[in-house]
Amino acid sequence: MKLATVFLHFARRSWGAIVGWGVMLAVLGLYLMRFYDTLAEQRAMLEQLVAQYPPALMAFFGGTAEMFTAGGYLSLEFFSYMPIVIGVYAVLLGSGMLVSDEENGTLDLVLAHPISRTLLFAGRLLGAVAILAAILLLTWAGFVIGAQGTTLGVTPLQMLRPFVALFALLFLFAALSFFLSMMLPSRNMAATVGALLLFVSYFVNSLAQIDEKLRPWGKYLPLHYYQSGHALEGLKGEWLAILLGVGVAFALLGWLLFLRRDIRLGGEGSWKLRKAKGGKP
Amino acid sequence: MSADLAIVTEGLLKNYGAVRALRGLDLEVRRGEIYGFLGPNGAGKTTTIRCLLDLIRPNGGRALVLGMDPQRQSVQVRARCGYLPGELRLEERFTAEGLLRHLTALRGRKVDWAYVRQLAQRLDFDLTTPVRSLSKGNKQKLGLLQALGHRPELLLLDEPTSGLDPLMQHQVLDILRQVREQGATVFFSSHIISEVESLADRAGIIRNGRLVEVIAPSELFSRSLRRLRVRCKRQVAFDALARLPGVQLLTVYDDRQALLQVEGDMEPFIQALARYPVSDVETERPSLEEVFMAYYRNEEGK
Repeated sequence: MKLATVFLHFARRSWGAIVGWGVMLAVLGLYLMRFYDTLAEQRAMLEQLVAQYPPALMAFFGGTAEMFTAGGYLSLEFFSYMPIVIGVYAVLLGSGMLVSDEENGTLDLVLAHPISRTLLFAGRLLGAVAILAAILLLTWAGFVIGAQGTTLGVTPLQMLRPFVALFALLFLFAALSFFLSMMLPSRNMAATVGALLLFVSYFVNSLAQIDEKLRPWGKYLPLHYYQSGHALEGLKGEWLAILLGVGVAFALLGWLLFLRRDIRLGGEGSWKLRKAKGGKP
Repeated sequence: MSADLAIVTEGLLKNYGAVRALRGLDLEVRRGEIYGFLGPNGAGKTTTIRCLLDLIRPNGGRALVLGMDPQRQSVQVRARCGYLPGELRLEERFTAEGLLRHLTALRGRKVDWAYVRQLAQRLDFDLTTPVRSLSKGNKQKLGLLQALGHRPELLLLDEPTSGLDPLMQHQVLDILRQVREQGATVFFSSHIISEVESLADRAGIIRNGRLVEVIAPSELFSRSLRRLRVRCKRQVAFDALARLPGVQLLTVYDDRQALLQVEGDMEPFIQALARYPVSDVETERPSLEEVFMAYYRNEEGK
């Protein structure tokens, strides 16, 4: 009951983000799916054009000569850059899961009520998962509707696969940012570091496609285990498990830190402030 | 621990980095009493209350609230306590009633709504107002409603009348007396000596993270510090007044006007002043910090 209260409260608070992100990406998906046939009709001309691009550039954006396959098309047009676009939202969501309320001072009153920190964490984590899932489901619906009557030939279930892969990646970054918010002195700093890790991971992984020297490093980055649009052909369970497993590990580490944490009062937001003022005796 | 104690702390320690906020706090609050917790800013009042609710973790010592360990039985402790934070921040996307309903749900819906409405009426508070439109005083009233609504056994109130006008302060003190009559324990911090005098059964004085002493509120009055600006109709010498016990001549503006400080019993001073051709007397209460400084300076000097 209390878990449901915490979960619903957190999810409702993000209602605007769910609708905003979900509808925007669904419309984009609808457009991309409708555009596929037009693109396919001009395949010969586009292949000539693409052939003139540096292969490294195409590799960086995850595109190859396969750009006219369903998986290649979805990767190039959407799933290759979505980790950056919606990943930033996942970072903000994770970093603010508990600390934004702590920084604005409302967590103090909530935790003075008879709910355990574990319950609050669990309810908020479930809320974050539901928010990300809802955004991706709305987006998926846009893709599915858009794909109707096209020559793409992708079933709704197949279409779900790259979204599952994207969800696992987003979950990892949300959990990582939550963990960082428990480690670092402020939500802003946690979000900045989380976003930086996301961008570094994205660019190093992309560059590893074209630079042999970077390739060994790629496997240490989350993006390496992200299948992008190629998940249409089948999800790699092992990669999915790695992303989700690491995400769960970060969430659990964050939870342990939250259990031991002194809840700050509103306005206490940095190490510097705490050192200078010593909290609020 | 005696069963008739609502709060016990023994050697409670809390550090914020290098700052030692609590330095071995020993506190005993009896069930069914109103206990005023007095101390200057930074003395450790808020830290104590937040340790009792497990919002922050002490570095040493122990605490028991209603016979329970606030860390190991935090949910049970909080179920039986009502809390008003000193720096009350409320989520602004609700109406007042919406916020109370949300907080009620976190309590497992154990709130007496008829009682909440009755309290809201007494505090002249409209539950339909959006939280974002509430003034500081009205937010404080809402904070009091959420603390009182489930009829807790123990109220932990950090500056409960802060931001309220004198009429409402009076109303709140009345409510707290009533709550005590119904069997609850009230533990509150305050900067206002007169408030502690009129409400508390006992007052604990905290300074530098330690409980200095526990006294009857009437004693606070006898130790209180006042400043008086005395204006006379004609030229006088104020030195004779300054020789009275507890009286200090702070400023002589001219031969007709001076600022004096009186500690403790006013009677000798008033009797002496009656012999002067007084045209006007203005009094002011110094801040609690100044009162404590004066008091402890004397104590340390002994």
